[in-house]
Amino acid sequence: MDAETSVPGSGRRFLLLSLLLALGCTSSAPPAPVSLDPETVRFLEQSTFGPTEALASQVKAQGFSAFLDQQFAAPVSSLGSYPAVLQGPAQVCPAGSDAGCYRDNFTGFPPAVQFFRNALSGEDQLRQRVAFALGQILVVSGDEVRSTYGIADYQQLLLDNAFGNFRRILEAVTLSPAMGRYLNMVNNDKPNPAAGTNPNENYARELLQLFSIGLVQLREDGTVVTDTGGEPVPTYDQSVVQGFAHVFTGWTYPTLPGATLRTHNPVYYRGPMEAVATNHDLAAKALLGGVTLPAGQTPAKDLGDALDLVFQHPNLGPFIGRQLIQFLVTSNPSPAYVARVSAVFADDGSGTRGDMKAVVRAILLDPEARGASKIDPDFGKLREPALLVAGLARALGVQSDGVFLRNASAAMGQDVFQAPSVFNFYPPNAPLAGTSLVSPPSTLLDSTTVMTRSNVVYALLFRNIAADTTVAGSTGTTAPLTDLASSAADAAALVDRLDALLMHRTLSPPMRQAVLDAVNAVPASDAVGRVRAAAYVLGTSAQYQVER
Amino acid sequence: MSVRISRRELLEGLGAVGLAASLSSRLGERRAWAQSAPDYRALVCVFLFGGNDGNNMVVPVDAAGYSAYAAARGTGAGGLALAQSALLPLAPASGAAAYGLHPNLVELQTLWEAGALGVVFNVGTLLAPTSKQSFLQNTVPHPLSLLSHQDQQHQWQTALSDQYSRTGWGGRIADGLPGAALPPVISIAGNQLFTIGNASSPLALPAAGGGFGLGGFDGSAEADARLQAMDDLRMLQEQNLIVQATQSQASRALAASKLIAPVLTGNGSTVDGLFTGLTSSIAKQLLQVSRIIAARQTLGATRQIFLVSQDGYDTHNDQLNRQGNLFADLSPALKAFYDATVQLGVAAQVTTFTLSDFARTLQPASGGGSDHAWGNHQLVLGGAVRGRQTYGTFPTLQLGGPDDFSGQGRWVPTLAVDQYAATLASWFGVSSADLPAVLPYIGRYPTADLGFLG
Repeated sequence: MDAETSVPGSGRRFLLLSLLLALGCTSSAPPAPVSLDPETVRFLEQSTFGPTEALASQVKAQGFSAFLDQQFAAPVSSLGSYPAVLQGPAQVCPAGSDAGCYRDNFTGFPPAVQFFRNALSGEDQLRQRVAFALGQILVVSGDEVRSTYGIADYQQLLLDNAFGNFRRILEAVTLSPAMGRYLNMVNNDKPNPAAGTNPNENYARELLQLFSIGLVQLREDGTVVTDTGGEPVPTYDQSVVQGFAHVFTGWTYPTLPGATLRTHNPVYYRGPMEAVATNHDLAAKALLGGVTLPAGQTPAKDLGDALDLVFQHPNLGPFIGRQLIQFLVTSNPSPAYVARVSAVFADDGSGTRGDMKAVVRAILLDPEARGASKIDPDFGKLREPALLVAGLARALGVQSDGVFLRNASAAMGQDVFQAPSVFNFYPPNAPLAGTSLVSPPSTLLDSTTVMTRSNVVYALLFRNIAADTTVAGSTGTTAPLTDLASSAADAAALVDRLDALLMHRTLSPPMRQAVLDAVNAVPASDAVGRVRAAAYVLGTSAQYQVER
Repeated sequence: MSVRISRRELLEGLGAVGLAASLSSRLGERRAWAQSAPDYRALVCVFLFGGNDGNNMVVPVDAAGYSAYAAARGTGAGGLALAQSALLPLAPASGAAAYGLHPNLVELQTLWEAGALGVVFNVGTLLAPTSKQSFLQNTVPHPLSLLSHQDQQHQWQTALSDQYSRTGWGGRIADGLPGAALPPVISIAGNQLFTIGNASSPLALPAAGGGFGLGGFDGSAEADARLQAMDDLRMLQEQNLIVQATQSQASRALAASKLIAPVLTGNGSTVDGLFTGLTSSIAKQLLQVSRIIAARQTLGATRQIFLVSQDGYDTHNDQLNRQGNLFADLSPALKAFYDATVQLGVAAQVTTFTLSDFARTLQPASGGGSDHAWGNHQLVLGGAVRGRQTYGTFPTLQLGGPDDFSGQGRWVPTLAVDQYAATLASWFGVSSADLPAVLPYIGRYPTADLGFLG
């Protein structure tokens, strides 16, 4: 299917916009930027960390499908290489250490800074977007896993597997020692009657609830199955959680190079967790859908069988697919959209279930992502902080070492790789007050952060942010804006160019006039000042911050 | 810096006023409550995110009770039992103490002895009075998604356990409040359902030390034009609902920042000194609340509902250290806050109470932690609290015993969130006739007043 020919109504809308532009634009502005294709700009908002004029021109020429193929094949970007730090803060960062010692060895800060560098200039934009979404579904947080290399390895694992099969993602995540540490599957002991302890339920519960099938039964279109009394039908009960908790016994940290496997290996986050058969519960385990795993299986066999059950559960496609749509395209997808993506999750066309490339392609080329739904009152999503700041930086040609972008995202409530809990920064069903919609990112938009967001846009445009001397290789963040400034002599031309780049030409006449007024208040001799004024007004507007 | 405020912006900034008025006209007879008493009252909700292990917050100290506790919690490696000798006795006004507090709640023991602290036993999310038997036999409706963090957090905040409510009981109380210059609900914990009403929206403020305001405007012509354009875009009628909500949020924030930003600096605050040396997040949040209460007359506030929070109670492992550290932050912060209300002369007009996702299993889980459970103990604090007393029924600390529905020490609640909330709402000024508007299921329970306030 060619997505660009399946956009009902877009032709008419484009004509209307062209007419408005023709009426409002009487100058002899440089024509090239205004020719940016609005639908391509929209597509790049959903499939990258944000459009640039150069990328929009390229993708317009090659077509969306070819761009997706190119992105699927692009080499994986790296979040950096970090040595395994085996000692604790007291040994690694004794009194008198560098200011950044703790941060650089025991937090997610270094890979988060690299994350923003990659978002700005990495070639594998789509992979990064999908991995970022996966990392917000399959959450591990540096808030609790206090290991820079552990966090970096986990996030790299998501990047490496983002276009693989979801079954593989589930297994890699399950056996990640960072996840093991985060949700207590590592060193999870079989029942110990003498000590009175039970297997830890944490990973079992959140695997089911958050990482795969969710609490309630779903139809293929993501709507909830209810019983005769109208109540949602649960997907599982506490006994199933306990069954999975027993499955996930008998795993420990990877064995340190040169060491010997012990029941409880010392903390080490490099490589997958290792099985300790003697610490694995051998009883039969009642799991989902009446399936019971027989007694006496090995840790790996139990784990593989349990993940197979989860992977084959009919909830998986709609549960994961709907969230991926929310992260990439819109907070309130229609059931039909979810159903189309679920169908591809179930079968990529060649009989394979869980093919992430096919799922991502289906999400981005769906008629609801590409078509006239963009003008529906419930379409779109508030830009989450990381995407807001990265998107503006990319569009405006900001030069950054990533430090300010990371800090700004954190200040707006999204401390990348450091989510406050396994429930991420916001739940997928967060209600939007005063409506019947959900808007997960609006959880982070309160009366404090709504102003922080404006202040971040201000800092990005108006301040030259100096290098952080505590960060190796830091160069700071600056917005030269020289390219855009070449259009600034003509206020209308500048606004048109930013309309195309930031708003995919959705500026209404009054909005356009308001921006023009702000630009015209700056003398034409201050070309950069004009760009700042226009980009500030647009970048802080709700009309921009809600991507549609 | 100059910011023009339009009429629409003013209305939005007033939050409850314009919107509540329109709601009451929709509902016809909906009355505004809490107008008869002219004095000041505030509720302060302290949400302990993650599921506070109430079983180690309040522990039996009598020989038989402690023995049952220690047997189930475990005293060896991986066990969770606190040493009997370390518990801080909660002595009633007369007679021997039956319970003790966690050893790190030193300041709370002082407040108990001063008569300002009460403990409410085994409260939980319910849809009707429920016993272990009726729960296991399914003869009563079950709350949705028991043991799930997010769902149980929401249900504690909404008191509607059979639905995905879009409002919380703090916000619903605010729906009925008369207009004021500031929104009556102030969260220092971001957006939470507790604070959202049918018609009212909260103000979210940073903890003490955080910035609250719009920067980048120096009064120059260029800056004023930029501000003007920003205002214009915010005022445009937009069709998209998410855009509208984002515009409204900005308008409310800008309006409120004019009023409250001076208060948040702490300059001239008489209560800051009480928090000296307290650096935890919960202390900074409660300091911010103290500053706002201190400025209540300047701000024109007569009824306020605050939300503060402490994260980290999901102690699946290493619980003894982790909960101990959290309590070591919580206890002095609550004491400083109570002392601030005393200094401000409003100790009897401010009631502080805890909420949390759920309790945790009495039986330990592998790794020195515990798993998700249900009914839990809560703390109520303030000059109006009938303190030095416990309320409700302490569960039998026995795995598989009469209160445990799962065999791992998960208590079927003997009191409902609804009753706990109704007691607080009534004290705050909601009449018994209006209670169902705030707590729709309160009529299902034998009493709406647990007696801890008065």
